[in-house]
Amino acid sequence: MVNTFDRYASVVFAAIGIAVFMYIQNIEIATAGSTIGPKELPAFLSVVLIILSLANLYTAIKSKKPAKQEKLEYKKFFIIFVALVLYAILIEPLGYVISTFLFLLVGFQTMEKGEYLKSALIAAAFAGGIYYLYVEIALGVLPPLPF
Amino acid sequence: MEAFQYLAQGLGVALEPLNLLFAFFGCLAGTLVGVLPGIGPISGVALLIPVAAMATSSLPVEQAATASIILLAGVYYGAMYGGSTTAILINTPGENSSVCTTLDGYQMAKQGRAGVALAICAIGSFVAGIISCIGLVFLAVPLAEFALKFGPAGQFSLMILGLCALSSLAGKSIIKAFMMTTFGLMLSMVGVDPISGVARMTFNYSELYSGLEFLTLAVGMFALGEVFKTILTNDYVEGEAIKVGSIIPTKKDLKDSAMPILRGSLLGFFQGLIPGCGATLSSFMVYTFEKKLSKNKENFGKGAIEGVAAPEAGNNGASGGAMIPLLTLGIPGTGTTAVLMGALIMFNITPGPLLFQDHPQVAWGLIASMLVGNFMLLVLNLPLVKVFAKVIETPPKYLIPGIVAISVFGVYAVQGSVFNLFLMIGSGIAAYYLAKNDYPIAPIVLSLILGPMIENNLRRAMNLYNGDYTMFVKDPISLIFLIIALLWVAVPQIMKLRGKKVLVEEG
Repeated sequence: MVNTFDRYASVVFAAIGIAVFMYIQNIEIATAGSTIGPKELPAFLSVVLIILSLANLYTAIKSKKPAKQEKLEYKKFFIIFVALVLYAILIEPLGYVISTFLFLLVGFQTMEKGEYLKSALIAAAFAGGIYYLYVEIALGVLPPLPF
Repeated sequence: MEAFQYLAQGLGVALEPLNLLFAFFGCLAGTLVGVLPGIGPISGVALLIPVAAMATSSLPVEQAATASIILLAGVYYGAMYGGSTTAILINTPGENSSVCTTLDGYQMAKQGRAGVALAICAIGSFVAGIISCIGLVFLAVPLAEFALKFGPAGQFSLMILGLCALSSLAGKSIIKAFMMTTFGLMLSMVGVDPISGVARMTFNYSELYSGLEFLTLAVGMFALGEVFKTILTNDYVEGEAIKVGSIIPTKKDLKDSAMPILRGSLLGFFQGLIPGCGATLSSFMVYTFEKKLSKNKENFGKGAIEGVAAPEAGNNGASGGAMIPLLTLGIPGTGTTAVLMGALIMFNITPGPLLFQDHPQVAWGLIASMLVGNFMLLVLNLPLVKVFAKVIETPPKYLIPGIVAISVFGVYAVQGSVFNLFLMIGSGIAAYYLAKNDYPIAPIVLSLILGPMIENNLRRAMNLYNGDYTMFVKDPISLIFLIIALLWVAVPQIMKLRGKKVLVEEG
């Protein structure tokens, strides 16, 4: 199997370059008095990015280096990733303490099953500790408990 | 001597109880960061920015900035030291710059001399820290004054040089490195343009008007990216730490390592001055240099004390040296100094030639605190080395989710928006895949910081010279910088084409 990431990445970055270039042309502004406005540098950079991406694509197609074969822990990663996304969604409705506690509990158990009580205690101490330090002592703002 | 006067002033600032406490906390946190697997100096500094902001929120701006940057710098050199502890005790470098230390350090540990190796590391780091501090004291003001003479064209070209220097040494493929640099520059232009007030690339999304937050991307790319990698590759540090044993080096040990430490410090310091040559590169070069110089080459790799002393001094010297271009020119030469610069900018203090005029308290306070911090590290590390050895055994089960939770807390506490959390998660995923395929991450963060300044200088220059682009070659200072930038990119490529191996700075 050939390493396909470089090809995809080159195409994606070239597309980003093209998109930015087209987007930046739509900015309407009177550049009276100044010779270079907000458009020039982004436009220049997008052209550079397109050229570099094409060069990278060319090298990627030419190269016959096989992809690194690695056994990856997709399952663990996926659970933690989903938990993290849920954490971000729930941090405001559920409040910092509850959402953090839940995330940590799920995270600890995903990494390694067992020791439920210890996991729960550490998660609670972390969530409560940070909230207390930041909100009560440093007078910062974090989403409070929902009740 | 003017420099000493400034330094004395700085010491006055650094020795204020609060700043002293912050330096202590920074060194301690940094050492922990260095010791703990999974977080290196870059993510450590990025993660502690919100902590610093939180702890200083009630202080006046200048004081808050001084205290915070003292803390963050402490994390930086603390982590440099901490990384060597794992290198020696479990043969796993805590960060890239300690790779060389594993070669002889672990061998020494296996021979029952772990304590001695750790002590020599601490002494080497200390000497290098002090030497680079002295260099900083003498070079800072003249360099800053010289840099003040640059016009906008010169400043623009200097930043281009900084970008080229970091990018050309940043990864295996120069095309990929420059792709990342360009992409980072484009990211830096998201938001309302400060000169014309036009919104660029915001897609009418109000969260983007103020631009992409540096902290969010830095935490996402470095801390989360690293965590994702650890989970996916199941790359946990295993193995019992070797017993530390006696930490008192013999007279012969001290005599054997004295010169390597001195040479390593000086070499490291001067390499650190050069943008792009970070601690990793210098430790390798110092090690090779010492090996060539040594009378008993065959001992290297088998537990030679010189092989521990020199690279440790080298990487600490380099991290001190890297502060000079950061503070005097506003050009961060490594990923970690780029993050430090981002932190300074968050506190409304822009590193660069004007720093020493506008905020002498911050600049000299920081320099003096590096002296104080190095003393602290020495005092802290030798007696606590056994405690740190225990920290290595923190189970990844608790460590990995913990780092994620701290990242979320940091970003949410400072930015206060869920949007930034998603941005952080997204950049973490992107960083993992990019880094895995040899697209370096550090140039993105560096260009994110330098981008606005580059554009600003470019536009100032163009207004000044009526849109005459040839001014960048006509202005002598600017021309010199551009030529150096070009050579910097070209020379390693030519060396590669001729079949020479080029060392690259990773991470």
